[in-house]
Amino acid sequence: MERDVIRKVPLVKPGEPGMIVEEAPTEELAGYPSVGRRIPRRDTIFQVLGQLKYINDLSFPGMLYAKVLRSRYAHARILRVDVSKALEVPGVVAAITADDIPVNSFGPSLQDQPVLAKDKVRHMGDGIAAVAAVSEQIAEEALEKIVVEYEPLPVVLDPLEAMREDAPRIHEPRSNIYWEWHIRKGDVEKALAEAHLVVQERYRTQMVEHVSMETHSSIAMWDAGGRLTVWCTVGRITLARTDLARILQVPVSRVRVVSTQLGGNFGGKNEITIEPVLAILAKKTGRPVKGTYSRKEEFIASTTRHPFIMEYTSGVTAEGRIIARKVRLIADGGAYCSWSETTLGKATILSAGPYDIPNIALDGYVVYTNKPMTGAMRGFGAPQVCFAYESHMDTIAHRLGMDPLQIRLLNAYDEGSISATGQILHSVALKKTLLAAAERFGWEVKER
Amino acid sequence: MKHFEYFSAHSAEEAVALLQKYSPDALPIAGGTELLVRMKQNLIHPKVLVDITHVPEFQGIALTEEGLRIGSLVTHAEVAASPLVRQFAPAVAAASGSVGAVQTRNLGTLGGNLVSCVPSIDSAPALLVLEAQAVVFGVNGRRQFPLTELFVGPRCSSLTPAELLEAVIIPRHNLGKPTCFSKFGRRKALTIALVNAAACVETNPERTHFSQVRLALGAVAPTPIRAYTAEAYLAGRPIAQEVLLEAGRLAAEDAKPIDDFRASAEYRRHLIGVLTRRVIEGALAGMPKV
Amino acid sequence: MAFTIKVKVNGEWKTADVEPEMTLLELLREQWGLTGTKLGCDEGDCGACTVLFDGKPVNSCLVLAVRADGHEVVTVEGLGTAERPHPLQSAFEQHGAVQCGFCAPGMLISAKALLDANPEPTEQEIREALAGNLCRCTGYTKIVEAVKSAGRAMKSSVK
Ligand SMILES: Cc1cc2nc3c(=O)[nH]c(=O)nc-3n(C[C@H](O)[C@H](O)[C@H](O)COP(=O)(O)OP(=O)(O)OC[C@H]3O[C@@H](n4cnc5c(N)ncnc54)[C@H](O)[C@@H]3O)c2cc1C
Ligand code: FES
Ligand code: FES
Repeated sequence: MERDVIRKVPLVKPGEPGMIVEEAPTEELAGYPSVGRRIPRRDTIFQVLGQLKYINDLSFPGMLYAKVLRSRYAHARILRVDVSKALEVPGVVAAITADDIPVNSFGPSLQDQPVLAKDKVRHMGDGIAAVAAVSEQIAEEALEKIVVEYEPLPVVLDPLEAMREDAPRIHEPRSNIYWEWHIRKGDVEKALAEAHLVVQERYRTQMVEHVSMETHSSIAMWDAGGRLTVWCTVGRITLARTDLARILQVPVSRVRVVSTQLGGNFGGKNEITIEPVLAILAKKTGRPVKGTYSRKEEFIASTTRHPFIMEYTSGVTAEGRIIARKVRLIADGGAYCSWSETTLGKATILSAGPYDIPNIALDGYVVYTNKPMTGAMRGFGAPQVCFAYESHMDTIAHRLGMDPLQIRLLNAYDEGSISATGQILHSVALKKTLLAAAERFGWEVKER
Repeated sequence: MKHFEYFSAHSAEEAVALLQKYSPDALPIAGGTELLVRMKQNLIHPKVLVDITHVPEFQGIALTEEGLRIGSLVTHAEVAASPLVRQFAPAVAAASGSVGAVQTRNLGTLGGNLVSCVPSIDSAPALLVLEAQAVVFGVNGRRQFPLTELFVGPRCSSLTPAELLEAVIIPRHNLGKPTCFSKFGRRKALTIALVNAAACVETNPERTHFSQVRLALGAVAPTPIRAYTAEAYLAGRPIAQEVLLEAGRLAAEDAKPIDDFRASAEYRRHLIGVLTRRVIEGALAGMPKV
Repeated sequence: MAFTIKVKVNGEWKTADVEPEMTLLELLREQWGLTGTKLGCDEGDCGACTVLFDGKPVNSCLVLAVRADGHEVVTVEGLGTAERPHPLQSAFEQHGAVQCGFCAPGMLISAKALLDANPEPTEQEIREALAGNLCRCTGYTKIVEAVKSAGRAMKSSVK
């Protein structure tokens, strides 16, 4: 690797050029050069000079390029995979299938995802085989020579359908509902029966891909001592390291994962994707192997944001106090768990909203469908439920003929409020924030 | 991208000879903004590309006896910036100025746009309302026909594999007529039209009635189309909101919009109404004051 | 058949043997190690691969390398150096116009093309000039501010 010219970036002191002082720091912050001020980031200069190396900017002598054959079907049994014709393509150095993978499963909470699919594919992003060749172009051409025999299976795309007992099972024999969260506080049915008004609504959100400008990219290389180094666009290097060690059946101490500046993550680069494939190809060939996702793979073979179906039922008094809230969340969990457990957990916990409600029943479900994986994305489920409960609050206000701000102030968490999960809350600035915001954007004027 | 052979042609004869020689495996390449994307997406695999960007006959914008001639290799950026086009066919300049982004317009050509025959191509409607002619060069020399006849269906032109679009000519009698182009996409820039439209409007001297209106639409039928029923309706009618509304309704009937992943047919019909009004009003607004 | 081409890159003539299907972006990044220019979509949609081709911004992922023969190309590496950054590079740094930074090289090239032609662009003109450059970290406001301020800086240094 060529060494870049490194510009020495001195520590910027207050008042020096290069520092944009926004507000005069208070006396007590005077000793802290960067608190209360805006200073340019240290690495920016290298980014704007085009010198900062992202993973795909790195290369090593003798490096090979890997490509993964993705499924032709959203749901199918794999009857046969034959890579022999791909190996005959000049420039192809190695090809692997599920049989080459020591432990063919991974995942941050449920290890339900194969590195390469063996008996069946569960969505079109599933990899079935991979090749390493002297160029990306040759690797791509070789993929076309791989023979896969499929037996298509019924496809389930709708999470409500997938929840039904008679739905085709995506991870048979397990149910398609693969994680649940249930939270109870007080007696919600009783409170609903006593309510002045009961408002019931259903909200849905769509699938979202992170579309970071940089696609996933990694390089795997083994040294003579049997140690693996993986340069990758994974934001969680320790998780990547343990996953890799488990898949490859090598001690964690033999695996080194190097990440650098990512060209956008947004939660989409929170787990390994092709790294184990590259590691196995690198081992097989004795050469460094690079794999970079195409933009299309980014959409089908990386995680996305969960689409949610959110059913809300709230009981209110005539004055606008919410006395009961029942929520049923159904997250479309795609073909594999990924960060669904975390996402559903966060969504369920937050689904009642930042409101002091004495009687709460929250149920969250995440279900398998034959769609791209759903995982972490900015907020882990919080944005979806926020959209639902805040829209729901507006409906309630409207039905009561109340000001939407007033109904929020009336119900909002305060210092010492107890959340749905029993947590006692401190430093609660919600009402203050609402009032400040209302003043800044002229809520009252707008209302009139 | 898959491997292909590449030839660069330096005259129209050479280009068509190469295309003829390697037909049916050869395609011409101009800006490449349409072709290369389709090749990268594995949708087509031409074995031979004939680069026509150095063919002198296909370049340049000029005022001729016949009218305003725009070479097929003129880029959208050049069309949009051309003083001649802006003066004599402002809607054509506006249409090219709406294609993609700066980068796309610096590469993409008018000819590539038209010959691609994608129903949503932005340069078609304005040229259609100006009754542009297509000049085509082939092994048997040149032929010329109304641009409408270039469009056969989605991604299907009337050119034979060894024919090239040389230029379009906007006839002299239509130069400087009030025109307007409008496009509606999912975003404000770098977007494929859900519907695009252009109008060329003539009125009586008092500016109270339409005398003749030509209206063309894109992305609403298998090819860019003229909205003949709406045009016939407008001729002689008073310039009034109800008339424009009815014209929009008729234009939606002229079109055959479909549901696709970008928009529903119903939404497109609504857009046709809105854009019809917009382009007619836009063309009227561009007329000198009475 | 490979073609031998000659391209003036960042002021220096370079030669290369290229296959017809190689894009200018691949030539820059893979043969010449000019990795400042990024690959985002490979289809002309994102602008990460923007370079100046004879002074005009184009998507290098949609230009065949053979087409660059005899032409002039400027990449982000040709804008400035650590010691003498281009005013746009300094402005991007000062205004925090860079987050993950992946869009920055393309943004800078598009912005340079704009300022070269129009040193005092309006906000609308800046937005139009950058419409072909996506920033998924969505720092557009600061990018627009940086371009404006660079325009002013360039103008005052000319005086
Ligand atoms: C990011 C992006 C955004 C875009 N946005 C728009 C948009 O907003 N509006 C729009 O209308 N289009 C858009 N396009 C499509 C495309 O850029 C235009 O259609 C462009 O004008 C095509 O011209 P080209 O010179 O690049 O054609 P090429 O890709 O070179 O060719 C297109 C087709 O026409 C053939 N061809 C080219 N020239 C001739 C000729 N003279 N004679 C015969 N055949 C020929 C080629 O063989 C090919 O089949 C966009 C494309 C991209 C990549
Ligand atoms: S990589 Fe060329 S425009 Fe995205
Ligand atoms: S800074 Fe990340 S894409 Fe623009």
